[in-house]
Amino acid sequence: MVENRPLLTFLSHLVLILGVISVALPVWLALVASTHPSSAFVSGRVPLWFGPDGLSSYIKMMDQGASTSGTPPIGQMMFNSLVMALIITVGKIVISMLSAFAICYFRFPFRVLAFWAIFITLMLPVEVRIVPTFEVVANLGMLNSYAGLSIPLIASATATFLFRQVFLTLPDELTEAARIDGAGPMKFFWDHALPLSRTNIAALAVILFIYGWNQYLWPLIVTTDESYYTIVMGIKRMASVVDDAPRWNDIMAVVVMAMMPPVLVVVAMQKLFVKGLVETEK
Amino acid sequence: MADIKLTRVEKTYPGASEPSVKGVDLQINDGEFVVLVGPSGCGKSTLLRMIAGLETISSGEIAIAGRVVNDMEPMDRNIAMVFQNYALYPHMSVRQNLSYGLKNRKMPKAEINRRVDDAASILQIGALLDRKPRALSGGQRQRVAMGRAIVREPSVFLFDEPLSNLDAKLRVSMRGEIRQLQKRLGTTSVYVTHDQMEAMTLADKLVVLNAGRVEQVGTPLELFHQPQTVFVAGFIGSPGMNLWDGDVRQGNLVIDGVEVARGVRAPDGPVVAGLRPEALSLQTGGDGQFILSYVEELGSTRLVHGHFNGQPVSAQMTPDQPLDQVMRMVFDSADLHLFDAATGARVNSAPAIDAASTPETV
Repeated sequence: MVENRPLLTFLSHLVLILGVISVALPVWLALVASTHPSSAFVSGRVPLWFGPDGLSSYIKMMDQGASTSGTPPIGQMMFNSLVMALIITVGKIVISMLSAFAICYFRFPFRVLAFWAIFITLMLPVEVRIVPTFEVVANLGMLNSYAGLSIPLIASATATFLFRQVFLTLPDELTEAARIDGAGPMKFFWDHALPLSRTNIAALAVILFIYGWNQYLWPLIVTTDESYYTIVMGIKRMASVVDDAPRWNDIMAVVVMAMMPPVLVVVAMQKLFVKGLVETEK
Repeated sequence: MADIKLTRVEKTYPGASEPSVKGVDLQINDGEFVVLVGPSGCGKSTLLRMIAGLETISSGEIAIAGRVVNDMEPMDRNIAMVFQNYALYPHMSVRQNLSYGLKNRKMPKAEINRRVDDAASILQIGALLDRKPRALSGGQRQRVAMGRAIVREPSVFLFDEPLSNLDAKLRVSMRGEIRQLQKRLGTTSVYVTHDQMEAMTLADKLVVLNAGRVEQVGTPLELFHQPQTVFVAGFIGSPGMNLWDGDVRQGNLVIDGVEVARGVRAPDGPVVAGLRPEALSLQTGGDGQFILSYVEELGSTRLVHGHFNGQPVSAQMTPDQPLDQVMRMVFDSADLHLFDAATGARVNSAPAIDAASTPETV
């Protein structure tokens, strides 16, 4: 439906502009704050334009890190976050794709039950099961390790459900044609199911990478060794300093840097991402 | 090259109270083009899919080239199938679509290329080899689907309503191409359709299925001229045969108390009388039992629809014949097909010879 009414155009633009402002303003404030000296924040007024310090906060944070707040250098934390986000992304996609494939293409006892059991875990995110999950991870000796950071977050109902929907859109004839062409189940998976869900994998990878990167509570709990700290927890630690005002310029510099990888992923994958979410033709 | 033999083949889907395919016996000879035809739900596709190995066989036996294939994977049956919605692999180019099955069979590359190029030139899709299926029209996709079957050089082609997604004109031309291609390759073919025109024009041997059973097997002309059941009589032929409820009394056919034909060779009792619209002509002249309802113009002929004692009647006439609101029906009683009203089986085995010379007028 295409309408051409001036008032409607005005209103829709107004809503869009308000949306942009509410999303962009915090980012802008962070960017601006990172260029001021730390003394600029004591007055309680929020600067709205760039300050005199330029990139010095960034250079300082990259160089030596926030050693005063007991965090490792930024590079180390960024690397930890990257490893955790990538393991979560890849792990979630591999496991959920295989389980969706099993649920869609094989007839085994309790198949429907299995699907709903997976589905119902949607109601049990890490925050809900944090105590038992911590106990399991601790008993397995996975505290302070990349495995401990990522594995408990890997099992995923959302991704399984999404891939199930993707596989259900593949026509039965395609499977049958492949059978007549002599493709066994795993060959069908590699040759047809996987290439045909390429865009969906890309879209999901973007979402999952950001999900992994933004994890805060779980890394905070399972890591005590600072060499496994992630960037998101690092920010929190820098903000809660004792006997001193938080150094907002440094914190904001780290925040801006922490935002970069997800932004890069979104920008790089945008085309595939949109295609994966809207494309219907198989 | 192979023949196919079906022995008491049955299929019962899990949870279904009665079988979808009920004890089908069928012999398909080497090189024959057999068409399975019937209304939707008659089990024709199920039967084809059992031959293909995509459905399990509940009981009975299917043998291809003398080998029982009941427990064989589709790949090992040496068959190729063309699907209704083409089922091309959307992420592969036409060339990859054609060669995929051969690659899975570990065929040498040179041989694959030779076969793909051969098939492409037979089907005139050489220019399309590097395109993806989504960049093809319906007719081109259909050709590629056929190409995928041809490159296999299988002993049996299976077609599952391959033309139903095409528009009417393309369907007619593809029909002709399939026919010629099959003649040229001489491969045994089984073709499923619900369209009796398609069935008549393509088949060497026509198998009419109804509710999971074989109604009649024969050449298209046999089925047209000597339908053995009411179902076949009504299904084969376009426009459809007139079917009237009546009685045979001492060699006379009586419909609603009116004697319409003499000298029919059938035992006394209630019957269904069939008469092809082509065999019926209508005469004007003021009296008669036929009441005109409407006329369908087909160009070279016209179909005249009406009723007679409440039973629908249609007749095929040439446009130059005059029409009236009330007309006399004229036909040769030798053209009558009589079927038992209860069982639907044919009762007048031979044409009624004595009445052949004197047309009946009603």
